[in-house]
Formats: sequence, structure tokens, C-alpha cells
Amino acid sequence: MTISTRRQLLASAAIIVFSRAAFGHTILGKLPWRPNEVYPPEPLGSPGWHFFTPGEAATVDAMVDRFIPADELGPGGKQAGCTVFIDRQLSGPYGTYEWLYMKGPFPADPLPSQGLQSPLTPRQQYRLGLAALNAYCRGKYDNRAFAQLDADAQDKLLDGMEKGEVQLPEFSARMLFGTVLANTMEGFFADPIYGGNRDMAGWKLIGFPGTRYDYRDVMQNPNKPYSLPPVGLKGRVSADRSPT
Amino acid sequence: MRRLFLVLAAALLPIAALPFTAGAAPDDYTQVERGRYLAIGGDCVACHTIPGGTQWAGGRGIQTPFGDIVTPNLTPDEETGIGHWSADDFYRAMHTGVMPSGAHLYPAFPYTYYTKVTRADSDAIYAFLRTLPAVHNAVDRDTLPFPFKVRALMLGWNEMFFRAGTFEADPQRSAEYNRGAYLVEGLGHCGACHTPMNWAGANDAARYLQGNVLQAWTDPNITDEQRIGLGSWSVDDIVEYLKTGRNARAQASGPMAEVVVYSTSGMSDADLHAIATYLKQRGAAGPAAPSPRPADDAQMQSGAVVYTDNCSACHKRDGTGVEAMFPPLRGDQVVQQTDPTTVLRIVLQGAQGAATDAAPTAPAMPAFSWRLSDQQVADVVTYIRNSWGNTAQAVPASDAARLRKRVADTAE
Repeated sequence: MTISTRRQLLASAAIIVFSRAAFGHTILGKLPWRPNEVYPPEPLGSPGWHFFTPGEAATVDAMVDRFIPADELGPGGKQAGCTVFIDRQLSGPYGTYEWLYMKGPFPADPLPSQGLQSPLTPRQQYRLGLAALNAYCRGKYDNRAFAQLDADAQDKLLDGMEKGEVQLPEFSARMLFGTVLANTMEGFFADPIYGGNRDMAGWKLIGFPGTRYDYRDVMQNPNKPYSLPPVGLKGRVSADRSPT
Repeated sequence: MRRLFLVLAAALLPIAALPFTAGAAPDDYTQVERGRYLAIGGDCVACHTIPGGTQWAGGRGIQTPFGDIVTPNLTPDEETGIGHWSADDFYRAMHTGVMPSGAHLYPAFPYTYYTKVTRADSDAIYAFLRTLPAVHNAVDRDTLPFPFKVRALMLGWNEMFFRAGTFEADPQRSAEYNRGAYLVEGLGHCGACHTPMNWAGANDAARYLQGNVLQAWTDPNITDEQRIGLGSWSVDDIVEYLKTGRNARAQASGPMAEVVVYSTSGMSDADLHAIATYLKQRGAAGPAAPSPRPADDAQMQSGAVVYTDNCSACHKRDGTGVEAMFPPLRGDQVVQQTDPTTVLRIVLQGAQGAATDAAPTAPAMPAFSWRLSDQQVADVVTYIRNSWGNTAQAVPASDAARLRKRVADTAE
């Protein structure tokens, strides 16, 4: 074809551009498959805390146990591994918000629907926020840290943080409260491979069957109780025990 | 009128060519095409090609209990292939396992079966091989360790275990049965894998087609035996399996998937029907069923848990599977073989079914080695082998451990 008009030139260019994209990846014959091909979940890593200092871990332990206290329904947040979950998340890409746009401008009084409006990464929020909380406690409660308060005092303080009535020194109490509460729930209900939801305590509490793949056998039995225990990505038992 | 003449001429052409096939020139189209078909029936290309390499140029290592034997180049290259072989040389190799140089071939090249291939069929395969493009590919033909590398040893081996011979049709049986017998006992060399071997690597004629273990795969019993053989398969079941790689009962995987892809899926329905007829009518043979494991056996109870959590989503809790996608385990033959290697292996490293033109999906199963311990693998295999009416020996964890090591790095 000899290109004689502007339209032909543009059309040819478009064909070249689009056909390159269209032939990006072609599978011939049967679907690709290799024996022994596995993608096991990443292990929790070496024992001990990966991000928290022992003091920070004790504070988070105390907080998650007030958010989800141990009771007759099952273990609390600490025993279920929520602190381990948060520690491992902070030491990974979540800790730095690796995938988020983190530059300003940040409005002074954002609406809740605007999401995160702060340059602080989760690591910074925990490091600065927990320090501020303990500084506040030491000043107000006879030089005791948050973890050393009794449960009633902890509840009262957390309640004040949630409502914005408590002012921590140089850190937003609401931000700390919201972040730890959200991460606690994630840790309590995420798959046990991430360190929380130990022994599938969260799933057992709400009757979630876990990562079973197919329920046709069950659906053929209406009005009969579902009796199988939950199962996680690594099977029926929690893969990793407490690393601390 | 002219068109009618052409049609008649075309119809007569193959008939006219037939009497001249023996010893015909390589450009004899009919003989070459017959040879191409026979070479498919013999599954030659599967061994004489490195996976992903140039077809027919050899070089694939065949694992034997005595070491790996690398297959030769079958293209007509003068130096590295069989370019200097005559049709007589080729027949001699097929019929007696001896190369033109006088050196002996090992029975990994199944001349113990090919000896029954007729001279006309051997010549046709030879004529076909002459038409392949010559590929220069030198292959190390002496990879066996001492003393097995001494090819003259095969003189004694042949003396003990091999008789050159031609196929004798059984006049009491149908022509179809005899065609099947010719293919299975000769070119198809099914028994090379599916017959137990003795200490010297020779197929044990007394237990012909009763199953074997090779290259860490169980080659199941393919006699008409009910529990572990083809007893519960119909002739049509067998034909469908060989043609498409699957049927309602089973799905070909591992080495048999290769056989289906390279060989049986390219065979005519008439020949597949003949093979199935032969296998069904030959008779049944195999060990008596052991008593099934009791349901309160510790391995069975642990296996039931592993099965429910890992297997039941696809194979269903009652082991019936999903037709044409996930093979049923209930009543399955491979699952109940005396030797559990294939079941253990598929649990550990996964498997993919054969992809054929008739059934191109090739469903695959993922590997479970990463989330099941040796004990769990042994338990679930024991459970599968003894549930829903299945009966087979229990499997110890040591079997799973040994196989885990063996197949950890296999890429095929």
C-alpha cells in the first residue's frame, strides 16, 4: 500500500499501535501448568517483634484487649494475635503506605469521606501516637503507662479518644484510636497466615467457614446445621504459633 | 464425465499403490503416509524428542532402574541420525534389537515388542522416517554406568528374556481382536510400561499387563480385572479415553497423557476399537483385594479431615468428581493399584490432564506438597483408597516422604 493521504497515514499508524498491543501475550496449545508449582503464603518470619518496641507492643496488647476483651465467647484481641498481625503489617508495605500518594496539600479540617489527609504513614502513626498516648497517661495517671491502667480507666480513656474529648500531646487521639481499632478488626478476622485470628477465633465467633471452596454439598441439605469447622489457607490449624 | 473419471481415478489410486509398497522408494506417498500413521501408533516421537526440542532428533533421557539412556536421532542425518541405515538395517533393529554396527540396543527401545511388527509395517515406518528433514544432533549414546554400559551384555539378556518372532493371529478370535493384539503386543508396546519387571528389567510374561511402577509413576493394571483393571470399563470407555485423553471415569495424566497426545489420539477409531476389544477380551488377572481399612482407623479419620478440607471441593465429598473436569475417585482404578505412587505423586505435585483436539481443556490440579505433611499425604491417600467402596493397602508416611524427595525437582 502506498500512503497517499493523511487519513491513510493515520490509519496505518493506528493499526501498528493497536496490533502491537493486541499480540502482547498469546497462549498456544494447552493452558500453562508446571508440576510442583506452588505459591505458599509468606511465613510470619522470625520470632519477636519486627516493628514494635516491647513498650509499644505492651500498649497495643492492652488496646486490642479492650477493643475485643476475652469473654465466654472466646479469646480476646491479644490472645488471638492481633498485635502480631499489626506488627507484621507495619513491617511490610502497609507500614509505609507504599502504594498511596502521600504528598499534600492536606486540608486542616477534612471531611471523613476524604479518607486519609495526613502525611503520616502507619509506622509514624503508631510510633508517634503510642508515644503520645503513654506520655498523656504518665502525666495524668501517676506516671503509669497505658498498659498499667486498670480496664475501666483504659475504657474511659479510649472512649474519650474516640469522641475527640481527650487531647494527646502533639498527636490526634482520634487518628490513633481509629487506626488501631481498624487494624485490630483486620487482625481478628484475617486469615491466620497473617498472624492474627489465631486458631480461627474470629471466624469461629461469627460462624465464618473460612476458605472452603465449594458449598454445593452443603446447599443440598437445607435446614440442616453446618457442622464443619473453619479452614484457613494453610489448613485446619493455625500455621504459625505466637512468635513472641 | 471428466469429473467422474477423476473421482474414479482417485478412488483407485491407493488400491493400485498397495502391491508395490514393500521396498518402495521414499517418495511413495501411500507408503510414507502409512508409515507416518504407524509411527504415531508406536509413539516413537515421544521418546525420540526432547520435550520442546526438534521432533525426531532424539536426546531425551529415558530413566531406567540401571541409569538414564538417551534416545538416538531418528532423522536421516548421515552423521548423527540414521541416514546411512537401509530398510534391512531398520527391520533388523526393530526385529532383533541390533544396530547396523552389530552393537546391541537396550530394551528401553522396546524391540521386545517391535519384533512382532511385520516387515511391511517396518518398511513403511522406515520410508516415513526417510522423509523427515535431516537434523544434525549428536547424542551421547553411552550414558549408562559400568557394567551396564557394556552393550554385549545384551547378548546374555536376549538369550534369557527375548525371542525374536512374528505376530501369530489367534484363529479362534475375531479379526478385530487380532488387530488389537497385533497393536498392543507389537507396535503399541503397551506392556513395556504396564507389565511388572523382573530383576533384569525384563517384563514378566507371567504377569503381562498387570501393572508396574516406572519413573515414579504407577502404570496401572490394564487386564479386564474388576477392581484395579479395565473390568468396569466398556470398550467405548477405553476408546474415548485413548482418543480424547479422558472419559467419564478417568483422565490421562503423567506419561499416559503423553501417550494419548502423541500416539493414541492420532489413531483411527477402528484401531482404538480393536485395542479396546483385545484388552477387554483377553481376560482378567491381578491380586485379590485386601480387606478395606475400618472407618475408625486413625489414618482413615485423619485422612477424612484432610480430604474434606483439601480435595472435596473438586472431587466432591462422595468422591464422584465432576464429569469431564475432575475425575471421580470412587471406584477409580489408579487410586486402588497395589502401588500408590501415582496417587501420592499427584497429591504432592499436582497433575494436568492430556490436551487433545477432542478435549482441549486439559484441567489441572495444583500441588499440595506445601500445605500437607508426609503423614497427612499418606492419610488422605489411604482414605481415598478405602472409601466409597474402594479397597487398597494403607500407605505409610515413609512412602510419602520418599516420593516427596524424588519428585521435588521434576519438571515433567
